[in-house]
Amino acid sequence: MSDNHDNHLLTRKFDKVLIANRGEIAVRVQRACHKLGLQTVAVYSDADRNAPHVRYADEAYHIGPPSAAQSYLDIEKLLAVARQAGVDAVHPGYGFLAERATFAEACYEAGLVFIGPPPHAIRTMGDKQVARQTVRAAGVPVVPGTEPGLSDEEIIAAAPEIGFPVLVKAVAGGGGKGMRPVHRLEDLPEALAAARREALAAFGDGEVYLEKMISDARHIEIQVLADAHGNVIHLGERECSLQRRHQKLIEEAPSFVVDDDLRQRMGQVAVAAATAVDYVNAGTVEFLVDRDKNYYFLEMNTRVQVEHPVTELVTGIDIVQEQLRIARGRRLRYTQEQVKMTGWAIECRINAEDPYQNFMPSTGTITAITLPTGPGIRVDTGVYEGYEITPYYDSMISKLICYGETRADAVLRMRRALEEYRIMGVKTNIPFHQHMMDSHRFLSGQFDTEFVEERFSMSDREAPDELEAAIFATLVAHRRDQRASQMVAPGERDTSNWKWYSRWQRVH
Amino acid sequence: MKYFTTVNEQEYTIEIDQEEQILVNGEPYQIDFQQLLQGGTLSLLINNRSLEAIVNEQENAWEVLIHGELYSVKVQDERSYRLAQARGTVLPETGTVAVRSPMPGVILDVLVAPGDQVKKGEKVVILESMKMENELRAGRDGVVQRVHVEQGANVEKNQELLVIGDPDEEA
Repeated sequence: MSDNHDNHLLTRKFDKVLIANRGEIAVRVQRACHKLGLQTVAVYSDADRNAPHVRYADEAYHIGPPSAAQSYLDIEKLLAVARQAGVDAVHPGYGFLAERATFAEACYEAGLVFIGPPPHAIRTMGDKQVARQTVRAAGVPVVPGTEPGLSDEEIIAAAPEIGFPVLVKAVAGGGGKGMRPVHRLEDLPEALAAARREALAAFGDGEVYLEKMISDARHIEIQVLADAHGNVIHLGERECSLQRRHQKLIEEAPSFVVDDDLRQRMGQVAVAAATAVDYVNAGTVEFLVDRDKNYYFLEMNTRVQVEHPVTELVTGIDIVQEQLRIARGRRLRYTQEQVKMTGWAIECRINAEDPYQNFMPSTGTITAITLPTGPGIRVDTGVYEGYEITPYYDSMISKLICYGETRADAVLRMRRALEEYRIMGVKTNIPFHQHMMDSHRFLSGQFDTEFVEERFSMSDREAPDELEAAIFATLVAHRRDQRASQMVAPGERDTSNWKWYSRWQRVH
Repeated sequence: MKYFTTVNEQEYTIEIDQEEQILVNGEPYQIDFQQLLQGGTLSLLINNRSLEAIVNEQENAWEVLIHGELYSVKVQDERSYRLAQARGTVLPETGTVAVRSPMPGVILDVLVAPGDQVKKGEKVVILESMKMENELRAGRDGVVQRVHVEQGANVEKNQELLVIGDPDEEA
């Protein structure tokens, strides 16, 4: 590719950036902007007036009620703020509008630089079937399966070649509906019928297809960077197998199972996938990797990822800053040969969820928060003391990232940091992370995408400080009682004077 | 003062005469207990072992955060402990128990109807909130007496969804 490519026209120098997001990622983008001397403009809903991303920005504009549909997802309002504030670029963060091609297009039409990939790349990768066909044509391995639109007979005829076990999947599927694992050919006709029924009921579309079921699969992704001049590099892999209901919980870089050879091969394939859609800016190519280290393209995320910090720590490359540079039309500062992974980084997503109650989200107000500090610790957060966790946005409180020379070193730091991390007012999944950091399976790197849901339990966790907790609470209760017996006036007592008298006698 | 303190169904007898020395199940511990002004942090030296915690008062219990783990601790003085034992309500397994929504959301499904027998821990309501499906469970064995919500209803935090009572109680 050459400088003449259309993508070149989408990048331009800019000085003032609207961050169309909230929470930790909005703060993260602002930090990169301020480092480069760029002005930042925040937007906020009624729920976020006091949020760090508002306080940290150079300017902040109110955009509506807490509901995301009426604030952070409202393209018209965001563009109105862009005009009012006189910005010349927009960073979408992750989530919300980050992967909506229409938003990227609307930005370009409004004369703004969209800090992300061009709309055609977002659109191509956003359609699973089109993405699969596009990357396969570029030589990227995809999970073997049938195309959609086949009859039951055609699917059954194709199955033995794909190899059992297979998954029957709904074309319009999502959330596991219309999905069925099948281990034997003779079970396939019935599974097809059931999946079609379920898909028709759930999505109004009974179209199904087959996919090879990858057992013991790991979820491993490759970070890519592409400039508008046709240069594409990768920054190595991230291991993201520890998930629950398709939500990643712990990520690390590098991966326990990826060696230099596999990294190079997967990296080249990821670069090929990005090149196939004329990609520009930062993106992530997700793969399933099986026991025999075969890898298959899953999808490409056309945005910055939640877990980008682990790659930043092992490569030393500030990914968000590179996003800004690329969008300003600059060339990549690194060649592939200059990218080196050094040491090990682990990220734990700290969520307001109770791991002892099936990860039930916990709402409420954070009454106290103390972040861990010290060598090798990074915390990206968007919450504060007094922050209310509402049902409007997701339950992530912060990302705790630890770096060490080796994996063991990073795990030890993470254990220490999790102990130091204090959040009161809402329940968090910190005990889950502590339990994982103690787990032999985690320490020996033996886990796949089903590990958290199928083979990991909080019930065997022994609470180590029960006695100490009992002493603390009793001392606090005792002090309060002592104070109460000295201070409470008779009219304010909640028990009768006679009861109070006898209690007073026992105390003295 | 003598206290009966319960954590995770483990009961401790804690005697405090002066704060410098306490008895836990009859065994003496040297204590130095300090409250820092900032953020409600407490510092405790137990036989010179240094521990830090944050303690919050809840409706019926104390929440204690130590080393990342949050404990719910019940503290009763001798009098209320004896009274509770006399009334047989140390662990209330009788009387009606309401299932309440822990957060605002939408009822995806109600799995029981009035008159149904339920076991403690059985799923009774599915609540969607924060883009997640959450299973709410029965707080005791018993019979569903009243159901206040139906599928699709919007509910507030702490709203009573249904009530479970003794089999012989009138619905």
